[in-house]
Amino acid sequence: MLPTFPLAPASPLGNPAPFWFIVTFKVLGFTLHMGPMHIWYAGSVLVALFTLFGRGHARRLASRLASALPILIALGVNFGIIPLLFVQVGYYPVVYPATILIAWFWFAVIPLLIVAYYGTYYYVAQIRKGSVDRKGVAASVASAVAFLTIGFFFSNNFSLMTNKDQMLAIYDRTAVGGAVSGLALNVGDPTLFPRWLMMFGLAITTTAAYVLLDTVFFARDETVDYRRWAARFAVRLYAGGVVWFAAFGSWYIFGALRPEIRQAMLAQQPILLLATLTAVAPGIVWLLLVRASQTLHRAQAWATGAMQFVVLALNAITRQWVQNTELAGFFDPAAARVQTQWTPLILFLILFALALGVVGWMVSQVLRAPARGHAG
Amino acid sequence: MHYPFWFVPGLTSPMLIAVIAVLHIFVSLYAVGGGIFLARETAFAYRTNNREYLDYLHGHAWFFILVTVVYGAITGVGIWWTIGLASPLPTEMLIHTFVFAWAMEYVFFILEIVSAFIFYYAWGRLTPRVHTQIGWIYAVSAWMSLVLITGITAFMLNPGNWQQNFWRAFFNPQFLPQTLARTGAALLLTTLYVYLHASLRARPQALRDLIAQRSTLPAMIGGGLIILGGLGWLLALPPSARLALAGAAALNVLMVLIFFCTAVVLAMFYLGPYRHPAWLSPGAAILLFLIGLAVTGAGEFVREAVRKPFVIYGEVYSHNVYRGELPSLQREGFLNGGVWTRRYIARTVPALMTSTGQIDATRIPALPLDQQLEVGHTLFNYHCASCHAPSGYSGMKELLPGWTGEMIGSLIVNLDRFHYLMPPWSGTPEEAGALRRYLETLAPPTPMTNKNGSP
Repeated sequence: MLPTFPLAPASPLGNPAPFWFIVTFKVLGFTLHMGPMHIWYAGSVLVALFTLFGRGHARRLASRLASALPILIALGVNFGIIPLLFVQVGYYPVVYPATILIAWFWFAVIPLLIVAYYGTYYYVAQIRKGSVDRKGVAASVASAVAFLTIGFFFSNNFSLMTNKDQMLAIYDRTAVGGAVSGLALNVGDPTLFPRWLMMFGLAITTTAAYVLLDTVFFARDETVDYRRWAARFAVRLYAGGVVWFAAFGSWYIFGALRPEIRQAMLAQQPILLLATLTAVAPGIVWLLLVRASQTLHRAQAWATGAMQFVVLALNAITRQWVQNTELAGFFDPAAARVQTQWTPLILFLILFALALGVVGWMVSQVLRAPARGHAG
Repeated sequence: MHYPFWFVPGLTSPMLIAVIAVLHIFVSLYAVGGGIFLARETAFAYRTNNREYLDYLHGHAWFFILVTVVYGAITGVGIWWTIGLASPLPTEMLIHTFVFAWAMEYVFFILEIVSAFIFYYAWGRLTPRVHTQIGWIYAVSAWMSLVLITGITAFMLNPGNWQQNFWRAFFNPQFLPQTLARTGAALLLTTLYVYLHASLRARPQALRDLIAQRSTLPAMIGGGLIILGGLGWLLALPPSARLALAGAAALNVLMVLIFFCTAVVLAMFYLGPYRHPAWLSPGAAILLFLIGLAVTGAGEFVREAVRKPFVIYGEVYSHNVYRGELPSLQREGFLNGGVWTRRYIARTVPALMTSTGQIDATRIPALPLDQQLEVGHTLFNYHCASCHAPSGYSGMKELLPGWTGEMIGSLIVNLDRFHYLMPPWSGTPEEAGALRRYLETLAPPTPMTNKNGSP
């Protein structure tokens, strides 16, 4: 009898940390990654649309958003390292086959990211010069399309890695001499499109929250008129994101998820509570956003931003539960032998804490620094 | 066999790793050396109140960010992306050994990104002291990321007596030589970037002369570190790697070229920018830069090639098999030892399957020819195609013209004796027969035959 799924043999080295550590950092890392990633994901589309069709304040918002993207992309890509590291540590028997089956598309993420990144820089350079020509517009559109495509490939990979039937079907269909062409996508999986689109909806909400934060904290030199417009726009954008997220989230849960997974989610605690919080939390943020947009009060803006972080964290935790549940029956990542590498683990945590301190010091120097041209 | 194999026509999937890695190293060394250059020279420019130089460095910092933060960082991630696709088993082993080294590298990347952006965007707003400090934070962070990744790549060449211990694995015999060599390469290659940028962007001539002169000393230091590290690298090579360096013609030629070109570049530095800075024209800078890239690329090729037949020396062979697995594979079958190969054979050649889902390789000779060829094709993909394309890079069609079936059969069962850069044959005699039949279909007649096919 062949195994249910051809899992690679367990690593003879065991896991370098307990499973709870691996999954905690995977989820935390993904939450941190989602923040900047959402802003480039939905923000780049917003920038492209406003560049093409916007006027006045909309164009100004596009400029402000685009100007922040280079730093956000750098941070977001870097924050993506930790979840990808830990998914490979704990879930290697499923994540490697999934990426190999869609190899060329997964590989294409790298050149697409370079195109998206340089396209963003090109557009920003034109903004700084004072006018955006057709090449600048094309660069902004190309970046948006590239980011959306990257997101689609990611959704392919992470939906495929938990769908053994699809992995086997793709392998059986594409293998020649046992080797795969890497030209398949996971389009036969009913969760792929709702999952991809649901993430985009969440990205819209995060981008809207960022627009508010930008308006309150960084746009102090803009006109009062612009700031009021941007704050109102953030409210409308967030509402649109919530509707989008709700629509595709509903499709995902009620129309695409395997019945046994859905049943477990809706019938068991604490996952039912978690899923409910995940679903309603964006609504709470929207209410905070409405209040903050009226007052442009810093504390309220902070609260909105912090609550949006909670929305992302809830989403990441729920996703992790769904992932582990989908894998149950053919792969148990928690069953791996553990050989904790204590000293490297502790050194990593110490370095992480020190680095936060150094980053804090650097940022404080910038905040204390006078405007350009007045330094000693 | 433990993971599906990704077939890339003409090139082999692991060669994609090489392509991305070389494209990355061209810039990542500059990311390290350039950080040192910017920190050191900004401090000098502040100290000497050289406003012209500060303006130039501001422009250079923008160029630096555009090249290293975008292209350099993403291609670095690209290596990681590609090794999981093309070489999943060694990647799995490296991840389990060094996940916290990579996590520490991520910490230094955060410091690099934040410090790089602040260094550039807050230019003119920070005091000189703070500005320089942030420049040095970047430089030290970048160098630490070099140190961390070098520990991992050096381990792949010579794990030493690591005993599955993180620290023994990290501080392996190749760690110090490679760290010295890479640091030296970072300084040397950065000088070439600086020459190129300054020759095109620095005005007036006096400023170009200053930059050329001040950049030459770090390059000379870099050259010295490369020589020191290179000697250490040679001394710390495992036995077959040292033999490969001496025995493989392509590697001989590349090593000679590397030393010769390095010596030429150092001589050109001394005679040119150091003694006569005005000699540094854009054309000379471009020439030096291209030589530097060629030498760097060649160095990477040699460094990777000498590791064969292993991907992780002494631990994982280039065909993604643990060294310790060999006896069982040779006894029970190569295809049977892999979960994905077993699945494929069960579907395509069910006559080989037993009732317990195992592959009985002794049944292979009784199969019809087309099914033997299917088995042979699968064996080729999983045993050979990590290094050999059917036609193309190290292609079998290009390597086997004129070989008879007997010669091919003898080669297969004596792979590592035929060439110590190849792994031992990892299957049964029957599987060797199937692979032989498949390779016979690839082997064209010798090109020395005349029109009617006779010699």
